[in-house]
Amino acid sequence: MSALSRRSVLSLPLFAYLLSKAQFARAQGPAARNTDWTSYAGDTRCLRYAPLDQITAQNFNDLEIAWRFKPDNFGVRPEFNLEATPLVVNGVLYTTVGTRRDVAALDAASGELLWMHRIDEGARADKAPRKLSGHGVSYWSDGKGDDRIIYVTVGYQMIALNAKTGEPIKGFGAGGMVDLKLNDDQEIGPLNDDIGLHSTPLVCKDVVIIGAAHTVGTQPKHHANVKGYARGFDVRTGKRLWIFHTIPQKGEFGYDTWLDGVDQVGNAGVWAQISADPELEMVYLPVELPTGDYDGQYRRGAGLFGESIVAVDLHTGVRKWHYQLVHHGLSDFDIPCAPMLVDIPVNGKMVKALAQPTKQSFLYVFDRTNGKPIWPIVEKPVPAGDVPGEWYAPTQPFPSKPPAYDQQGVSEKDLIDWTPELHAEALALAKNYRMGPLFTPPSVWSDTGTWGTLICPNATGGANWPGGAFDPDSHILYIYSKTEADVGGTIPNADKTRSDFDYIYSRGTPPPGTKVTPRGDVKPGQLTVRGLPLLKPPWGRITAIDLSKGEFAWQVAHGETPDEVKNHPALKGLTIPRTGRPGVLAPLVTKSLVICGEAGFATQSGGRRGALLRAYDKATGADRGAVYMPAPQTGSPLTYMQGGQQHIVVAVGGGNYSAELLCYRLPKA
Amino acid sequence: MRISLGFGAGLIAVGVMALAFAAVAQDGRVATSGVYSKAQADRGAMLYADTCQRCHGSSMEGLDVAPPLTGPRFLGNYLGQPAAALASRIRTSMPLDMPGSLGQQASADLTAAILAANGYPAGSDALPSSSSQQQTITIDAVK
Repeated sequence: MSALSRRSVLSLPLFAYLLSKAQFARAQGPAARNTDWTSYAGDTRCLRYAPLDQITAQNFNDLEIAWRFKPDNFGVRPEFNLEATPLVVNGVLYTTVGTRRDVAALDAASGELLWMHRIDEGARADKAPRKLSGHGVSYWSDGKGDDRIIYVTVGYQMIALNAKTGEPIKGFGAGGMVDLKLNDDQEIGPLNDDIGLHSTPLVCKDVVIIGAAHTVGTQPKHHANVKGYARGFDVRTGKRLWIFHTIPQKGEFGYDTWLDGVDQVGNAGVWAQISADPELEMVYLPVELPTGDYDGQYRRGAGLFGESIVAVDLHTGVRKWHYQLVHHGLSDFDIPCAPMLVDIPVNGKMVKALAQPTKQSFLYVFDRTNGKPIWPIVEKPVPAGDVPGEWYAPTQPFPSKPPAYDQQGVSEKDLIDWTPELHAEALALAKNYRMGPLFTPPSVWSDTGTWGTLICPNATGGANWPGGAFDPDSHILYIYSKTEADVGGTIPNADKTRSDFDYIYSRGTPPPGTKVTPRGDVKPGQLTVRGLPLLKPPWGRITAIDLSKGEFAWQVAHGETPDEVKNHPALKGLTIPRTGRPGVLAPLVTKSLVICGEAGFATQSGGRRGALLRAYDKATGADRGAVYMPAPQTGSPLTYMQGGQQHIVVAVGGGNYSAELLCYRLPKA
Repeated sequence: MRISLGFGAGLIAVGVMALAFAAVAQDGRVATSGVYSKAQADRGAMLYADTCQRCHGSSMEGLDVAPPLTGPRFLGNYLGQPAAALASRIRTSMPLDMPGSLGQQASADLTAAILAANGYPAGSDALPSSSSQQQTITIDAVK
């Protein structure tokens, strides 16, 4: 589908009535106290913070569900993983929903549907690399009544909608839409070429910044995949203003870091959320690694700007500074979330800083005006691997502060040891793999040797795409991370129809058809011991990092101990501390609390199956409350004031519980 | 600095244990008793490689938005649920580009493959394809 037809946009017949009703309802409350949430993580600084204090430690457990929104029918099948953080502007909540990635506008006080927008992209969406509803929408206003909602479709088209009606903005692109597969300084086929996006656009002043995402790169079909350039567009017209080549073209800065040139590589997309400083007029791009999450045979060299933070000019896209966090990545660390633009005291002086959470559990902190590290970042030697044709970076950068917020690397001391028997079984399992510190690379599967390398953090973190939260008053940054092992294993690739790599990731499993010599009960790739995780808990945690010192303020396990651990016969009689749960989460911080939902279902009090939305003391991490959710958190929470009441909205779902938005607030007296 | 990975659970754990056992369907079977056949799991594994692997990973480890189908995060979604819950989810919503294209037999075979990958033992009989029969089989925890 190349143009947005009136027929393809469904505007509900009663939207005008509903909108006027909503506006009337909003007028009843103390409008002066209403607050907004105007960007995915609060604002363009991506701090996930709101200075609200109606919901406190004293009343958190009194929260009740004010409304819920079930987007099962937005798309031909229900969605189970709603990752969006909605926006709230002037009493209306905006979000992407459903497997078709429709846009819905709800009354923020009641949850009533005001309008919805739908586009059926047909095969273009069916073949897209990044499906489902994505991370949400963006908002822009000229302050004079031209208010717009902007999002990227499953099929990689940018659409601007009238925020009041949901109608496409006629003067934006072609009939409200910009085809992002065009004008990208490379030829991209309309259907089969591998590019899309699931994060929201970033709007800063009058510029929309758009990244790119590709199919997950564990076993890429082609090493010369589409390149993931970043672009800036005029928010009024949709006209391209600039492009930044995340893989430099010949003659551009960084090209010489590619030993074999750049013709045989792709990716290096910016799929994570982007941040921007409107005062400095700088955009901060978190770039993923080039093609091959674990295999870099066709991209020898450090490979700028793979896994780099790149600061570019808001209006021109010209690079101001960059810092590569991983040279020639071989562990799929990407940079998964928005750089957090934090103002912090350093040696008695406030500094405009940037804090970057990562999958590898380092928080990298820079002066965001020039890219200089706040605390020294030291290049240290790292192990090489054994994959034929692979190139290994001799060193990687290690921050000296703050400490890593989660486990890095795997050694015998990290294996479960609740009982001597369990530890012995864990050791027997682990000895089938290589173990080593962070950046120990994937290794080749061998029937007589090892089945690969045990890695932790793995490709989903540590921390991941939701990012962190930051309190600008205390200068404490809060980050959720998980502790979970995986296998970095590579095999010779015999099936060139599936991938044109010579060696390809296999996650510890042998080449197809290989006879595997039995090793007791242990099977390649299986990382549990009697159903228990291989690594010691906590399996999920929240860390509070005081950025005025570069030190931890506290760290707590986040998430209730799983039922199967509580009830495990091998642990009978033992007192098991709260273990936390592995997931993909971000907390919210308010004037009074740190708030975060759990990952994974557990049996709750009263026998209900569900998860908890938890509140913590900001200074100590002590529990300050917990309320029931019918399913785990999938999209990070936001908060706003509406009608004199503080609301918390969070997306939940998972397993066989389809996606749902929940809105909590305190009951009126 | 305060690191508190403190002790939770306590009395709640006792209650949870009782509830978990109560969750097993009356007169039903549990997955650890062997509720699928090896031949069925092998069929499911082949189907998985063609249909599911590109999103869920070569050994069901999960990639990006596709959740893991093995290990603790799988149990976090399906522990205590009937096998029908998993089979139905597969049948009605997967794969992403052709939801509804997998029928009862295919979804039962895939469920068997997922159980096998999680270390549940094979039994003598295949997992029934009928949803009503799958309702009597509870996914318990491998121990």
